[in-house]
Amino acid sequence: MFGQRGRMNARLITLAAIFTIGGVALSARVVYIQAFNTERYQAEARDEHFGQQEVRAPRGAILDRNGYPLATTVDAYDVHVNRADWQDIDAARRAAELIAPLIGAKPNDLVNEVRKEKTGLYLAYAGLDFDKGTSLHDADAPGLRLIQTTKRFYPEGDIASTLLGFVGRDHAGLTGIEADFDRELGGIPGTVYFERDSIGNRIALGSERVGQKPRPGGNIRLTIDRYLQRLVEGELDTQLAKTGALGGSIIVMDPKTGEVLAMASRPGFTLSRLDLNNPNQALFRNRAVTDVYEPGSVFKTLTAAMAVDQGLVTPETTYVDTGAAYIGPSTIRNWDYSANGTTTVTQLLQRSLNTGAVWLGSLVGPENFYAYVQRFGLGQATGIGLGGEPDGLVRPNTDPSWSEVDLATNSFGQGIAATPLQMITAISAFANHGKLMRPYIVKEMDTPEGPRAFSPVVVRQVVKEETANTVADMMNRVVEGFPGHLAAIRGYHVAGKTGTTTGATLADGAVRDGNVASFVGFAPVADPKMIMLVKLDFKEDRLGGQVSAPVFAILAPSILAYLGVRPDGPQLVSTTH
Amino acid sequence: MAALHRPALPLPRRLGVPRLSGSLRGRTVILGASMLVIGIALLQVNQFSRLASTGYQINELNRERAARQAENHDLEAQVASLSSLARVDWEARTRLHMEPAQQRLYISINHPLPQRQALPTRFLPQPKPAPEAPAPAAHGDTIWERLLKLLPF
Repeated sequence: MFGQRGRMNARLITLAAIFTIGGVALSARVVYIQAFNTERYQAEARDEHFGQQEVRAPRGAILDRNGYPLATTVDAYDVHVNRADWQDIDAARRAAELIAPLIGAKPNDLVNEVRKEKTGLYLAYAGLDFDKGTSLHDADAPGLRLIQTTKRFYPEGDIASTLLGFVGRDHAGLTGIEADFDRELGGIPGTVYFERDSIGNRIALGSERVGQKPRPGGNIRLTIDRYLQRLVEGELDTQLAKTGALGGSIIVMDPKTGEVLAMASRPGFTLSRLDLNNPNQALFRNRAVTDVYEPGSVFKTLTAAMAVDQGLVTPETTYVDTGAAYIGPSTIRNWDYSANGTTTVTQLLQRSLNTGAVWLGSLVGPENFYAYVQRFGLGQATGIGLGGEPDGLVRPNTDPSWSEVDLATNSFGQGIAATPLQMITAISAFANHGKLMRPYIVKEMDTPEGPRAFSPVVVRQVVKEETANTVADMMNRVVEGFPGHLAAIRGYHVAGKTGTTTGATLADGAVRDGNVASFVGFAPVADPKMIMLVKLDFKEDRLGGQVSAPVFAILAPSILAYLGVRPDGPQLVSTTH
Repeated sequence: MAALHRPALPLPRRLGVPRLSGSLRGRTVILGASMLVIGIALLQVNQFSRLASTGYQINELNRERAARQAENHDLEAQVASLSSLARVDWEARTRLHMEPAQQRLYISINHPLPQRQALPTRFLPQPKPAPEAPAPAAHGDTIWERLLKLLPF
């Protein structure tokens, strides 16, 4: 009996010991969890009970120089359909009848698309207008999931598309200003923690906590003027349609400050019909900044400036034009194969003589010539701050493959390549007392570090003030020296120079023997308020003086009037008191 | 002896007063405890229902605020759209039957320019926000908080 009781006691003791050890172990574990590894387990519990959602920060607006929005953000909805809820065909049809008209789809097509798979969410429409989304929300269609989002809105329509660029589905800037200033525009996304159930779904009335508030993106104010931009783009489109040009660029700048007032380039894209599936990504380039071309005779103004600045010639210095210049085995002739005899430097520019530019180049010499080229900012990016800006192509005399023919051809703008922005910036120096300005396109912006304003930057004094004024005067005589120049305008004195380049590769390599016709001009000569570059690309031969100079003459009066520039001709002005 | 063994007269029965008293006290205690438990439970229910209701109201108000903000953005976009050059041009040509000027006459006027039209406030520099006022007094305290405040310690 005792033995049996003893065995029972032993069993009980064993059991009690097991329970005790178990209890102690559990208690120790609890103490360990609660006291020693608290943070880790708290975090795990939080992760289990709370979901996390990123809240997108509203993207900043891109404004024109007067504060009018060119691109802004509005609220919208992404329309999703829960495929599982549409497996019942009747419910699916009922819901599709409600949803399809608002997203511009056919109900049957929508039902078929959604029912292709059985689970998951189907994105029926991205960026539905907020009011339409609200009415869809009220309709309470089965399986409908509306997710509030934002979308880019362009109040001024499609203007400045290649300049502004666009954002992707994730609202990150992909091209243009949107990409170049994505950090400033994009803001900082926030975080919201919400209580969720065992399968991860959000509990409707569960607790919610804002982890980090989204910080809205800053606005960017450009130097672009919406009126001038629209004017310039409209005229560029008109000229492309009228002349059959393959493309072109027009830039309008304030020569005194370097502010870009308008910048248009074609071919481009329309923001309202943006097709990101289009494989021709080249459409999205801002060619006025990214593409180089041979400036042709416009460059002769730079060569003349070098010679004048060196004191080698004056506007009245003469040379004898025999119609050809011989550089080793190469012969360079004038564009019209003319021989003009005794010719002044001014006449050289007026008639745009290649032989004269070769003569000036040889006077300046390769050392000085390429030093000036560098001083005019060619062969290096302007630093405007827009993406894809190249340095341009210059082969200086230090290059082993350089030869004297290079100096000769470079002197009249061939064998050298620059962007339209580089060329207009270089010529601006003549309208600004010889000072080269850094072009800029952003006037002000809100950065994460605070507001930032940009002001004009003088890069360097390229040529002496007298030289700049002399060249400006010669350029004025190019336009007004002969009656009937197509860049001349009534009421204002204009300085300018045409340029034509043959044998150019255009349309992204499709055209090998194309033609670039350009004109750069500024007005009023006495106190220039604007400078404009017009460049048109053709498959066939066209002269800058015939097709690009008239564009300047069409645009300049409107631009000058808009800028409030008083005309030189007193007969046009009446004064009231 | 007989008398001795006669059973004594029964004492006047107190009708089980002690038993009744004990039972009543017990019932009172149980009743009181039950009332307390029910009261606490009701308070709890009330508290939870108020919490849920407030949570719902907060969600609704947040939703309404988001909707109003979205409407604001939409209206600002409409303002921008209506003041766009394309619309001005369209109105001028179609409604006012205007045409581009063929001839320009420049007139100098000795008068300051009118002020520019104000932009939608969203695009204007934002004034610095005023420092937040301290939270209002315990206006919306819960029952628990009000009860706890009644305690002397």
